Amino acid sequence: MHIPDGYLGPYTCVLFYIVMIPFWYRGIKWLKNLHPRQVPLLGVLTAFSFLVMMYNLPVPDGTTAHIVGGTIIAILIGPWAATVSISIVLLIQALFFGDGGITTYAANAFNMAVVLPFVGYYTYRLLRKKLSDVAAAGIGAYVALVTAAIVAGFEFGLQPYIQPGYCPYTFWVSVPAMAFAHLVTAGPAAAVVTATVLWYVKKSQPELFSMGEAEALRG
Amino acid sequence: MDRLTKTFLVIIGVMIILSPIGILLVWNYGDAWGEWDPGDLAGQVHEKLTGMEKLSNAWTHALLPDYNVPGWEDKLHASIGYIISAVVGVALVLGAYYGLVKLVGSSS
Repeated sequence: MHIPDGYLGPYTCVLFYIVMIPFWYRGIKWLKNLHPRQVPLLGVLTAFSFLVMMYNLPVPDGTTAHIVGGTIIAILIGPWAATVSISIVLLIQALFFGDGGITTYAANAFNMAVVLPFVGYYTYRLLRKKLSDVAAAGIGAYVALVTAAIVAGFEFGLQPYIQPGYCPYTFWVSVPAMAFAHLVTAGPAAAVVTATVLWYVKKSQPELFSMGEAEALRG
Repeated sequence: MDRLTKTFLVIIGVMIILSPIGILLVWNYGDAWGEWDPGDLAGQVHEKLTGMEKLSNAWTHALLPDYNVPGWEDKLHASIGYIISAVVGVALVLGAYYGLVKLVGSSS
């Protein structure tokens, strides 16, 4: 779901940079709330997120998709922590590996570092009233990844109406394509990975689990 | 360092070694949707995408483009390139993260 340079026009790119400024500002400020023992944990989770995105999964239509790991960070540490950590990953991917883009960096950050962790976090919070924590986390990750993909699909698909000459496909094409890849392949993978991690954390370190929750939104 | 962080360090090590799965599993697959080469896409839609052509070259200094050492095309070399990329990527991500944490400063 990394929109490459060239697919979004200059107006769209600038708009997303403006939109992202308050999210980056608040996210970076939020880092002050990190408990000292959470600092290395968020570090390894950031590296984990970089690595899960390298695992391209086959989509039946001949394309590929990957998971992001943002819901895991949002639940274990907090959605603002996920905003910062996924933004770091996206920046490194764009600069050193040509994955995503420089002009589209803010749009990609909006999709994967804001929409994804916040949708995942609140879906999880809502569902855990009725379901187990583990099931709520899995479904939260699924809903979050599919939502982020659909939002990316809309960005691709609105571009021809904003300024032609960039992404040529309208959202009638881009949204179903992005939704499909993540509904059938990456979404289920995100659910399994997230639920497994949460199950393990709950079993091995329940106290960390509850700390993440209380402080997730502070500040 | 707590137990969970240690566990994740082990997982990270295993994921680096196994990372070629991420390309071998999809070796004959196309790109992810919307991540095609601009030239190929223009041919596909029979349209000159002038804006895209220009902006797509906004950044051409990627050290390991597509998570590979340029020219390492066959499965074995691409897999090694992928593992190198995973190591470099993890190091860069951790460096950037700790740099930022240090800059912001933790409250306690």
